[in-house]
Amino acid sequence: MVVSSGKMHPMHERLSLYIHRESVLHRLNPLTKLTLTFALILIAYLSPWYWTGSMLIAVVIAPLSFVGRVQREYAWAALRLLAPATGFIFVMQSFFLPGGQTELFRFAFLRLTSETLAQGYLTAIRIFVMVSAFILFLLTTHPSALMTDLTRRGLPSQLAYVIVSTLQIIPQMESKAQTIIAAQRSRGLDTEGTFLKRVRALVPLVGPLVFGSLVEVEERAIAIEARGFTSPRPKTFLHELPDTRTDKIIRWGLVFLVLLTLGANAWLS
Amino acid sequence: MNWLKKDFNIMTWVLIPVAIAINVAIGQIVVLLRLPLYLDSIGTVLVGAVCGPMAGLLTGMLSNIIWGLAIDPNALPWFPVAGVIGLVAGLCANAGLFKSWWKVVVTGFLIALGAVVSGTPISVYLYGGITASGSAFITAFLLQTGQDIVSAVLSTNFLIEPIDKISTALLAFAILQGLSQRFVARFPRPENVTAEKGQNRTQLFIAVGVVIVLVLLAAFVVVRILG
Repeated sequence: MVVSSGKMHPMHERLSLYIHRESVLHRLNPLTKLTLTFALILIAYLSPWYWTGSMLIAVVIAPLSFVGRVQREYAWAALRLLAPATGFIFVMQSFFLPGGQTELFRFAFLRLTSETLAQGYLTAIRIFVMVSAFILFLLTTHPSALMTDLTRRGLPSQLAYVIVSTLQIIPQMESKAQTIIAAQRSRGLDTEGTFLKRVRALVPLVGPLVFGSLVEVEERAIAIEARGFTSPRPKTFLHELPDTRTDKIIRWGLVFLVLLTLGANAWLS
Repeated sequence: MNWLKKDFNIMTWVLIPVAIAINVAIGQIVVLLRLPLYLDSIGTVLVGAVCGPMAGLLTGMLSNIIWGLAIDPNALPWFPVAGVIGLVAGLCANAGLFKSWWKVVVTGFLIALGAVVSGTPISVYLYGGITASGSAFITAFLLQTGQDIVSAVLSTNFLIEPIDKISTALLAFAILQGLSQRFVARFPRPENVTAEKGQNRTQLFIAVGVVIVLVLLAAFVVVRILG
């Protein structure tokens, strides 16, 4: 396998949620969007006000998905990835957290109180903010653009290599796994029988996959070494990403907001 | 810092993405086979053993970060746990605990301990104790018996993690034994994983026996807590 895989693996085969559109949000510097994501998470968890998380979703995250013109993809990702998990957490916590006083409903061992209901909603909404802020970030930021920008700001280029090449290798590995599963099934491997049979199926599936991919490691190492991977000289960039004044103002504004929340939290508790 | 540079040679940097992809691929095969385990950190343990604890830490953290960024954002908050798994695997391998079947079982148990200790605060503070996995039902049951959240989460994880992490470590060891010595020698710490002389089936059976005893012990502890 060759490392300079531009031709072999076009963009769409790379693993990412990124949707290519023209929008203000897409044009922002990746670091600005990353700051926004972490600011949203920190504010949701630090704010002393109960409704902050819900407000952030209604007033910031959901409108921003329209600004970024990814509202449909955002809604779909939130529905598919987030709604089941947060819904489960909300229901389980409402019923099973200890310490509620005001009983609303009781059936056998199920006991719903207004305190645990409030607590469950708070946790679920915070997780919703955390994950959906990341979804919005990933929908509007290309992984390579993020890595280029962070490398320019001092992230070791080896780390950038690891992240970008992992995003390429995972889909390859998955298709390889599918091939191996199909091949072993055609030779009569039982992948749907009893528990012991399924345990035994693990080795003939995992073995070829792992050994096959580990053998490639050495070839890859030689290939990127030959392209100056470990060279200590400063590297140049193929694409220049703009970092405007607006970006800087937004970033400092967000930092200020987080500090303000932290202050409010300390003040009120 | 010299050893750190030695641990991160070019083979390490190239192995890390492959190890992360192994984590993902095996994790999905396990789901396909409907086994009651995760086995999603075999690659991490592999890197920790043969490239040192810091490389293991990095692989684990990046594994969950990338998994979170590209496939399922719910995996993201757990990246410190994955990091600890790689770190502990590396430390154990440095201490010579990755050289025979029964020693690998000990390594697996220590990895599980690390995962439980680092995972509990995340579970309690970020998720309020009940997370979105199947084990939440056990936690909920323990809460019903009157335990506080921290000890309910701790005992849930103690029930689940050792079995998973011991199997993970054993599989990683089996993979390393299947690789040629010439290949393993190119990584920073090949001496960590060279099997001791006198390996045989008896040792494997002893290792499996130890696992069963540990599982029974865990079950006993849980029954004691509940009773």
